[in-house]
Amino acid sequence: MRKAMVLFASLFAAVAWGSSGAAEGESEDVAGYILHHVADSNELEIEIPLTHNAIHVPLPQILIGSCTPKMTDHGEVLPGITEGCLDLSITKHTVMMWLAALLLLASILIWSNRDKTKLVPRGAGANLFEMLVLFVRDELAIKNIGKEEGPRYVPYLLTAFFFILFMNLLGLFPWMATATGNLAVTCGLALCTFVVTQLAGIRAAGFGGYLAHLTGGVHPLLWPIMIPVEFLGLFTKPFALTVRLFANMLAGHIVIFFLLGLIFILQHPAVAAVSVPFAFGIYLLELFVAFVQAYVFTMLSALFIGMGVAMGHHGHGDDHGHGHKETGHSHDHGKAHMLGS
Amino acid sequence: MFLPTVLAASNFVQVRPGLIFWTIVTFVLVMVVLRLKAWGPILQLVQERETQIANSVESAKKMLVDAEAKLAEAKEAANKARQEASETIRRNQAEMSAFREEMMAKSRKDADEYKAAARREIEEQKAKAIAEVRSMAVDLSIEVASKLISERMDDSKHRALADQFVQGLPVGGAAGAVRRSA
Repeated sequence: MRKAMVLFASLFAAVAWGSSGAAEGESEDVAGYILHHVADSNELEIEIPLTHNAIHVPLPQILIGSCTPKMTDHGEVLPGITEGCLDLSITKHTVMMWLAALLLLASILIWSNRDKTKLVPRGAGANLFEMLVLFVRDELAIKNIGKEEGPRYVPYLLTAFFFILFMNLLGLFPWMATATGNLAVTCGLALCTFVVTQLAGIRAAGFGGYLAHLTGGVHPLLWPIMIPVEFLGLFTKPFALTVRLFANMLAGHIVIFFLLGLIFILQHPAVAAVSVPFAFGIYLLELFVAFVQAYVFTMLSALFIGMGVAMGHHGHGDDHGHGHKETGHSHDHGKAHMLGS
Repeated sequence: MFLPTVLAASNFVQVRPGLIFWTIVTFVLVMVVLRLKAWGPILQLVQERETQIANSVESAKKMLVDAEAKLAEAKEAANKARQEASETIRRNQAEMSAFREEMMAKSRKDADEYKAAARREIEEQKAKAIAEVRSMAVDLSIEVASKLISERMDDSKHRALADQFVQGLPVGGAAGAVRRSA
């Protein structure tokens, strides 16, 4: 979030600077270009280098329900899901997500396909893969969930980690886009974690215990206050997951585009001497952030699942302790976050 | 101003339910496939490896303890053997020296005995020789005396006389003279 604020501040500054020198239309053009590139769209756009042309690949639109486009100020807009229209169109980010999923499946099936009679992996790929798997299992699952319940959630955490990592990394290749830089994608992932967390809680405490937990373990007179608070608390966790991943992945890309866009805003090739190395630095940082954010998402998922599992073990009294634990961890993430930006 | 235009034109803060749907579908599919094809076997393998390592470490520890016990045992046995050996050697040495002492004493005694016997023999022989010499001297003197006197005499009387005479002779000188003359 902080990154996004810095980003907007710098956009403002650039606009102020740009409007004094260059034409207003120029900077808006650059901003439009950037937003066009990080946003989702209904077609794949493959730019041909050194020309102003691009290959446009239209993607199928899948509309379920009564979907008649309405005319608004910003062109044609489809009615929302509340108005009875479900838009299941395949978009640029959907394609990128599928591409990442296919790459993930291919590479993991190749890396994990080794001589099963030997207990020790051979080769860089298999070793790296096992290292990451063991890291997720020992450092994330077992540390946050516990030795007994941890292994049960390892496959989920591993999948989340690698899936997010691959989507993050895919966005760093030319002509590709970052699916995790889309709120809907991160929201979908966070919803998965949310469901797993609630199931872990219900599994550990039973459905009654799970519901009892929503009261916060206080006197029934306080329930009208406590239940909404606890209920909201359920959703803040996935919301934090959603926004953190989205903002981090989006902001890095916008910063890179913006640094390169400076050349065109200031209309002087010499700017490239500064902005290209900077953009390169940010790119390397993005490479790091791709790993960090995959780690953070998985880690927080493990933490939330661990809190759900802990419901069954300790009853209501411990809720506060866990709350503290969570804040401690988010604090850590704040730091990692700053490091990343 | 710029920001409202940006926010209005941007659809990157827009959440499309369709994409959420596709994300969840993709995620679940990927998870199912990987769960069956990758995570299951790999985690099982890792588990197996861990138990094997743990077992190896455990058995190595046990072996080490065993080996240490055996080593201590062996050391003790060696010590005992060495002690026994030195004990035996000491005993042998004591026996040997006692035997030697005994032998020495015996041989000394034997030597003394022999010496004594030899001395006795010598004395006896000497006495015998002296007696012989004496009797020879008596015979000689009788012969001499009879020749000198040339007269028949009562032998026993003369004999007593000569004996008397011989008794008066110095022993060593007479013996030497007798030996020379014989």
